[in-house]
Amino acid sequence: MSLLSHFNLGQADNADSAIPAIPSGALLWLIGAFALLLAPQWDRLPWWLIGACAVLAVWRWLAQQGKFRLPGRWLKTGVMLVLVAVYVATVQGRFTVDTAASFFVLAVGLKWLETRTARDFYVLFFILVYLAAVNFLFQQNIVWALLTFAAIGCLLVGLQILNAPALPGNFRAGWRRLGLLLLKTLPIVVLLFVFFPRMAPLWSVPLVSGQARSGISDSMRPGDISNLAQSSERAFRVTFGGSNPDYRDRYWRGLILDYLDGETWRQRDEEPFRRLGRVVTDAGAGPLAENEYDVLMEPTDQRWAFTLENSVAASSNVFPAGEDLFRFDRPADSPIRYRMGLASAPVSNATELSPVQRNRYLQLPRSGNPRARALAEDMAAELEPAELVNELMRRFREQAYYYTLRPPTMPEDGVDALLFDNKRGFCAHYAGASTFLFRAAGIPARIVVGYQGGDPGAGGEYLIVRQYDAHAWVEVWLEGRGWVRVDPTAAIAPSRIESGLREAVEEEGSFLENDFTSLQRYQGFAALQWVGLQLDRINYQWQRWVVGYQGQSQLDLMSRLPGGMGLKELGYITAGIVGLALLIAGIVSGVSLKSGERRDGFGRAMESWRRICQQAGVPVRSGETPMVQAERLALARPAVAESARTFARAVNSHYYRQEPLSQGGEDLQRLKRLLKAIKRQLRHDGQRRSTGPDK
Amino acid sequence: MRQGLIHQWRGWINRRIPRSDHQVFSQKNLFILPTGAGVVFGILLLIMLITGINYQNSLIYLMTFVLGTVFIGAMHQTHRNLSGLSLSITRTGEGVAGDDIPFYLRLTAGKDQAVAIQVSVEDSVIEQLHIPAGSTKDVVLPVPSAHRGYVRPDRIRIETRFPFGLLKAWSWLRPSSAALAYPRPLVAPDAGSLVDDGSEAAAAKPVVGQDNADLRPFREGDLSQRVMWKRFARSGQMVVADWQGEQGSPHWLDFNAFPGADTELRLSYLAWLVADRVQQGARFGLNLPGEIIEPDSGYAHGDRCMRALAAWGEKPPRDQDALPFGTRKSLDASYKGAAE
Repeated sequence: MSLLSHFNLGQADNADSAIPAIPSGALLWLIGAFALLLAPQWDRLPWWLIGACAVLAVWRWLAQQGKFRLPGRWLKTGVMLVLVAVYVATVQGRFTVDTAASFFVLAVGLKWLETRTARDFYVLFFILVYLAAVNFLFQQNIVWALLTFAAIGCLLVGLQILNAPALPGNFRAGWRRLGLLLLKTLPIVVLLFVFFPRMAPLWSVPLVSGQARSGISDSMRPGDISNLAQSSERAFRVTFGGSNPDYRDRYWRGLILDYLDGETWRQRDEEPFRRLGRVVTDAGAGPLAENEYDVLMEPTDQRWAFTLENSVAASSNVFPAGEDLFRFDRPADSPIRYRMGLASAPVSNATELSPVQRNRYLQLPRSGNPRARALAEDMAAELEPAELVNELMRRFREQAYYYTLRPPTMPEDGVDALLFDNKRGFCAHYAGASTFLFRAAGIPARIVVGYQGGDPGAGGEYLIVRQYDAHAWVEVWLEGRGWVRVDPTAAIAPSRIESGLREAVEEEGSFLENDFTSLQRYQGFAALQWVGLQLDRINYQWQRWVVGYQGQSQLDLMSRLPGGMGLKELGYITAGIVGLALLIAGIVSGVSLKSGERRDGFGRAMESWRRICQQAGVPVRSGETPMVQAERLALARPAVAESARTFARAVNSHYYRQEPLSQGGEDLQRLKRLLKAIKRQLRHDGQRRSTGPDK
Repeated sequence: MRQGLIHQWRGWINRRIPRSDHQVFSQKNLFILPTGAGVVFGILLLIMLITGINYQNSLIYLMTFVLGTVFIGAMHQTHRNLSGLSLSITRTGEGVAGDDIPFYLRLTAGKDQAVAIQVSVEDSVIEQLHIPAGSTKDVVLPVPSAHRGYVRPDRIRIETRFPFGLLKAWSWLRPSSAALAYPRPLVAPDAGSLVDDGSEAAAAKPVVGQDNADLRPFREGDLSQRVMWKRFARSGQMVVADWQGEQGSPHWLDFNAFPGADTELRLSYLAWLVADRVQQGARFGLNLPGEIIEPDSGYAHGDRCMRALAAWGEKPPRDQDALPFGTRKSLDASYKGAAE
């Protein structure tokens, strides 16, 4: 270097310091992850919010491309105010999980306009990771779960690009690195998942959504259930320990409606208030007994469980609520799994109806439906209650009553219109009319609402009960026999009870007539059905074994392992696993380093050079160059002077050579030969010295 | 107390990382800690775990475990990114005091590639070095110098946060070689006359130092050191030793040619003169107290003179010195030391 060049060192070449704050690749992955994370919430978020998020993210991207500028402070404030105003206007003061989630998403969307530095990038990264966790609160379906994990992957690849923007082949290498990392850590994840103690919730957290869920409700107007029949959404899935009961016996009782309020059937008593329990989603564990069945119910935001007649609770998350009904501790805001046993004898075989109860089950509005009342009085005058029930069923069976999903509207005196004029209705109509008639005839009666039916899933391992299986039927009180199920639908349309709604309304062609996206609609396409059922099976197993892996199922699994582990032991095991993981990471890096050193011949040569010097009585001083060291060695042991200097020169040329060194190569061989020579010379020299004086 | 801890910590590190121009990074001398983002990430994982517990949500558990093990895996990756890497100083450069002095470094990756490595000393940073497995990369690290003399940062820091920036692994190279900071050249006061004299005096016989001193009576403004006090004691005459170099001999650049100027200023003048002479291709010698460089010409000679100017009166840093030497931080350190 010439002298004068010393004088302009000021402009040392620092060209690569001009890296943009956030590399485009990283930003792209971040935006991608955002999109993936919004997808599972599409039906939960207002459309304008999704649109706004898209616009804001695209704005950020265009700014990155230099086609647009990020907004200044005023514009940014303006955009924020406008969006918040729209939010406030649409939310209208309701506070639910949905509105909270919307606000969260809105905040993330606005953050795009502020993402300028690496620090902002990390802030967004953290928020999006938490958004992924929030997604899992609402969607546990395997497809959405995989999508959410894919989004996490995108985020982690984005981080890699952020940290090494100039690395060539970043995209592929990033995924490969991440994939390898996940693969290596997979055993630990599995162990942790299995062994991490599933503690009880720390505090009670309601997660009630304001969104209306499809499903039966606690009041029934004549048309209600026929609306439900247009939905093929899943209500619940059941696995039986023994064989599946016959189709006609699959009556899933949910709740009882016993109060007729004008045209609407309600529950007389509000559900008794019970302090909200903590989330308990775990069912009883262990294999199903012959007489047990296991229900995995979709969230309903209600507390009722659907059970067969004469069931007893076999898991701790359901409790009997009287009248052969069961309730959860808290509304089912996420998929819930429970287990029931089938009693061999009727459970609630009350022989007496108290006067209060009798009054309750005979309640009718003071007026209305005169023809039905007259018919009831006529029948009651001639017939015993049991005969009257049979007579009515016979009437339904023999006269031209139709079971239809397109009932005519019956505005006033609906029971009369149904029984005498139209004779067309759905289960809710007939159940309501029958109960009315029984009560008018002095027979205590009530409506039971729930589901009837259930189609086998893939392989027939379990039953799928869908919303269109929703059903309403009647129970009457007969002296000496207690509550007896009477289903007018069975009399009018036996195929509904024998094989389901599809068969019952086949002629009418009204099955799922408004639901074009439902797979169930296209019964004719076998392949489509097959795919649908397989997907459902995967999802079912996913929900039972992964999503549903909770306290009780964990303890059950553990009890099958030797050692009888409790929560405490699981805690120890978890700590052990984490410790082990750290240890393995440490050992692996230690070993790979050792092998690296072993491969580094120069390092080894230098090590043995140091040893030789030590033995020769001139220990290597730190920071001393090999040349100086060789001179000192030469001074101490002149016999090896020449080889020591040669060695030092060779080492020097290795370290300070301009071109990259040839790996291994001749240099190394030469160094080794030299070292051997030095050792030999030292040995000879040593012998001569020790023997010298003797001679 | 705090100072004591820092001192102990330093001592511990210095024992682990001996002073050397070559360092291979391994478990012995690598340090790894979460970054700020890493700490936040840990807190986030904790929050997610609590969410999972509270909502009995297996998938949140699963995600927490996946991210947690990714964190542990990243620890290994970040560590491996540096371990096996070697960093050596191939050459120390020269520069002007106050400027950045280049240190020529060579990084050699081990059997793993090293990605997004950052090498820094004080405020000067080289970022984003990628070294494929088994290959080498040469970089120049500018080290800010504080003043003329030897420059040796106590530590050159090597760091990586790859892949996720949640963890940082770092270590140091504690150089044993020092670079030189030349005096900053300043135009010498009577430069004009010197340059004019230059051509005609080129043939003049070289004169060596004090042997040819003239004696003349004391004048107002002469330095008292120049007064021949022995003669004054003998004869009572104030006589001043005035040697030829001081008159601006064109062959000799003389430390003593600038009466009244302070040492660093003189060296700066001389540095300017040396550069000037070299540019003209002139022949010149350098006369420093205690060191004389015989007249010669050419760039190599110029370099030699500059080095002599830079090192004059300075002691090279010793291995044991555990403080930065001649860098800007060293000034801070000494100020702090003075304040306490």
